[in-house]
Amino acid sequence: MKESKAIWLDNVLHEIESIHIDSKSERRIRVDISPDALPALLELLKGRAGYLHLSSISCVDWPDDDEFELVYHIWSYETNILISAHTRVSRNPGFYISVYDIHTPAGFFERDIYEMFGLFFEGSPNMEKFILTEWNGPPPMLKSFDTEKFVHETFDWKDYNPDWLQEIVAKGGGIVE
Amino acid sequence: MNVDWKILLVELILMPIVAFVVGLLLVLLMRKVRARIERRVGPPFMQPLYDIIKLYGKKTQISHGFIMDLGVIMVVGGYIAAEVFLPVPGMDGMAREGDLITLIYLMMVPSLGLALGVGQCANPNGSIGIARALTSMLAYDIPFVIVVAGAVILYGTSNLTEIIAIQQAGGLSSWGVAMMPLLAIGGLISSYAMLGKEPFELYIAPAEIATGPMVEMSGKYLGALFVMQCFQVYAVSVLYVTLFLGGGENWFTFLLKIAAVIFVSASVTTIFPRYKTEDAIRWLWKWPTGISLLGLAIVMAK
Amino acid sequence: MTEKNELPVIRPAAGDACQSESRSGLFQHAIDSFVEFCRSRSMFILHYCTGCGAIELPPAMTSRFDMERLGISPMVTPRQADILLITGYVSIKTLKRIILTYEQMQGPKYVIGICSCTVNGGMYWQSYATAKQLNEYLPVDMYIAGCMPRPEAVLEGLMQLRDKIESGAATSWEDYFKRYDHYLGKQQHLFGKDWHTPTDVIEEARHYNLLGEGTLGENTAVLEKYLRHHQELDLTRVALEPAKTNLPDR
Repeated sequence: MKESKAIWLDNVLHEIESIHIDSKSERRIRVDISPDALPALLELLKGRAGYLHLSSISCVDWPDDDEFELVYHIWSYETNILISAHTRVSRNPGFYISVYDIHTPAGFFERDIYEMFGLFFEGSPNMEKFILTEWNGPPPMLKSFDTEKFVHETFDWKDYNPDWLQEIVAKGGGIVE
Repeated sequence: MNVDWKILLVELILMPIVAFVVGLLLVLLMRKVRARIERRVGPPFMQPLYDIIKLYGKKTQISHGFIMDLGVIMVVGGYIAAEVFLPVPGMDGMAREGDLITLIYLMMVPSLGLALGVGQCANPNGSIGIARALTSMLAYDIPFVIVVAGAVILYGTSNLTEIIAIQQAGGLSSWGVAMMPLLAIGGLISSYAMLGKEPFELYIAPAEIATGPMVEMSGKYLGALFVMQCFQVYAVSVLYVTLFLGGGENWFTFLLKIAAVIFVSASVTTIFPRYKTEDAIRWLWKWPTGISLLGLAIVMAK
Repeated sequence: MTEKNELPVIRPAAGDACQSESRSGLFQHAIDSFVEFCRSRSMFILHYCTGCGAIELPPAMTSRFDMERLGISPMVTPRQADILLITGYVSIKTLKRIILTYEQMQGPKYVIGICSCTVNGGMYWQSYATAKQLNEYLPVDMYIAGCMPRPEAVLEGLMQLRDKIESGAATSWEDYFKRYDHYLGKQQHLFGKDWHTPTDVIEEARHYNLLGEGTLGENTAVLEKYLRHHQELDLTRVALEPAKTNLPDR
């Protein structure tokens, strides 16, 4: 049964053009696909190959290429295989289509990605802020946001100069920066 | 009414003090027993007193209105009024004037007072808690009243001093426990439900409804509720000892008997979780009520 | 915000308003030190622990490192508790709720900052969403450093707090009233210029005679426009629009 499912999966995946499949191990398959074809891939996997569980949607920021890379992790209960579907979405315009109608948990992940990276998902039911409700700055997970500089500007630090530290500094040592 | 009013006045002042001190010791006993069963050490000796003094020493008062203050006074006052009807060795208090039926009425006043006070707080946790408290009062009062009725029929009197005299005159075999064992069991279970301890702790329920009626009580109000707990433990255990365990011939046996009642209660409390409301009512109307009715039938047949 | 029927009324305790210096007279001094002793021997902690350090509290309460023998027991609501334990990092979102909780507690109250994140940022010092020093926003009595401190360290810290309370030195809750302008300024630096809580802290400070020169200032001036004075309720007309509440802006 599992043999035929594996062959079936292979056939299913090869139906899509411009797909690149890399089997990393027995239960991990990496798929690179163009952004236009990704929703079709998810629907295909769910409907015909039994990949019912969307584990997560991750986002990676590529500032040099001016793109976001979205990774969709889908899991099958029958064959115990995790497929990670990678796509590259360009930053301008910064939106992509939502897969909420295929997998309902996607609404939550897309809300999270919009809050942290600024990538909007059309068709997602609720795009309001829910984690960083007190945050008014830029999307914080972008590589262009320097969090350490922000922290040094906004917060103060305690002075900490006990005797034992002063002795060490007097001998030429100190805290490693 | 051949009683010297001077002695009565002295007794009316001394009996609440005695009840408070004994109540503090009983609360300490409950906490120590619970700690020992959980393989801990437990609080030090004066801990209940420290708690009460600390709560009364709070500098902020948060009141929700006059009815809340009145409710708390009713809570404490109900139990203080109830315990002057319970005779202790050496002091009879009002036990000759008022009888068992008066005592039962007075022991229902604190719950109603708490309902009044909590109603003004307008906190949903408090409202849920007090609804549960009144519902569980409805549940445990049925077996309790049956037990009291059975005891009155057996002894032929509802005057507590005479009940004690009857039990002490006949020795061990004329104690209530020996003469009406089924009613004694039913009375024990319903008195634990009256104390509000597991498995009937549904109206306090610390993690569920944030201690229910006590949620907005703070500072001096909470201190008053802790004082109420001392009086409540004392009143319930002394009532049980008076009806079934022969009262107290002298102070040593008296304290030993009420300590035994509370010891068993604390042991049962520590190992059980708490019932849901409907489960508690269903259980209390089935087993203690059934046992008490059977005991009542046996008593009436004699 | 003052004396509306639905909001609780904060009254001063019967007797004198509190003052940090002990009252004169041998009898009053004896009573005061006895009450301080009882306060140190019966501490109720608020069983709401923020952050990851909360995992060190159940071991301190269970049978190996029993806290109840020191008189410490957990209570579930801020109204009933004395000690607010801030265990672990404090994100900005949590800090708002901690301040609201702290103002609901009754004096005398104490704050303990457990774990290094409350001291100077700790492990999350580079994060844009955590507060670095807790005592800029709330007065803190005791810090227990560690990541996480072992239950022995927590108990040692609580015993030191007990000694501090017994000697009468744990008066940081009065500091909140005396320097409310400073604390509110720091809070508004994080949350926005208009931030305020439903508790009327200035009125409380006035009741306790703790209105110092640091209580009112430029930061507390914004509270003036949110203060509603008591108005007679017109029962002859139905309210046509919902009443404006004084809750802080979200």
